[in-house]
Amino acid sequence: MINTNSVLDAKGLACPMPIVKTKKAMNGLEAGEVLEVQATDKGSTADMKAWAESSGHQYLGTVEEGTTLKHYLRKASGEETEVKKHEKIISNEELLQVMEVNRNTIILDVRESAEYAFNHIPTAKSLPLGELEQRMGELDKKSEIFVICRTGGRSDLAAQKLTAAGFEQVFNVVPGMSQWNGPSQKSVNE
Amino acid sequence: MTNKVAIIASNGGLFDAYKVFNIATAAAATDQEVAIFFTFEGLNLIHKEANGQLPLPEGKEHFAEGFKKANVPSIPELVTMAQEMDVKFIGCQMTMDVLGMEKEAFVDSIEVGGAVTFLEFAKDADVTLTF
Repeated sequence: MINTNSVLDAKGLACPMPIVKTKKAMNGLEAGEVLEVQATDKGSTADMKAWAESSGHQYLGTVEEGTTLKHYLRKASGEETEVKKHEKIISNEELLQVMEVNRNTIILDVRESAEYAFNHIPTAKSLPLGELEQRMGELDKKSEIFVICRTGGRSDLAAQKLTAAGFEQVFNVVPGMSQWNGPSQKSVNE
Repeated sequence: MTNKVAIIASNGGLFDAYKVFNIATAAAATDQEVAIFFTFEGLNLIHKEANGQLPLPEGKEHFAEGFKKANVPSIPELVTMAQEMDVKFIGCQMTMDVLGMEKEAFVDSIEVGGAVTFLEFAKDADVTLTF
């Protein structure tokens, strides 16, 4: 089960309807929110990918359930252009080295749960940015925490919030999952 | 990239209509500015009465069942959708004069113009298609 903000039923519809309906549904979402599109049109997977690429949204992945294809898309948020403020920064490569030395490294993945489901670092804990404030208590203030998102924007915000709340050793991982070459896994029911 | 798609629709069959409106709505859904110039038989595609019963090519009548089975939207539905997505329809003035047709015979809010109207739109389009 993948958490989404909205579900669009496009089952039984032929091209170009799934894309047209997706476009309309996307207009009703806030930046950063995730849409699930249920379709039976076999061409829709390729179409969704191409559509997301040209319209600037993020295609997360597709899960097949019988004859239904469930596509997951995240609305563009402009996070790439934000100036990063958190000072303690670590590169993807440096994080990999830390992980090799210490298997219990705490990695906090602050992307939406649907993004996490399709590709994440095996040892990373999923804590979407929107839930950070309520769930901060799950974390230890003294330990080193490496915060990661897709491009370093949301993790920057999360790192600032954690530091402000008294966490002492918080690092923002840049650029994040968009360029991650280390071990990763999927946790969607195949 | 200018994000513009210019389409000329000059044939009036059902297959032609799907080619035109599928590409147009898909492009509009991808945030492209789309204009279609309807000329000669292409005007059937936006004719209020004709566009609900466009002919299949001769010998291909059996495709009607396939269209139904695949739940393909009807041409009038695609026209409405294209309009909702701000696809611009330009009816060819010259053809309308030749055939003695009035603007009222066509779906609402079409623009009527000549070849230059279309060329003006198409001059900086990335994609120009003719059907």
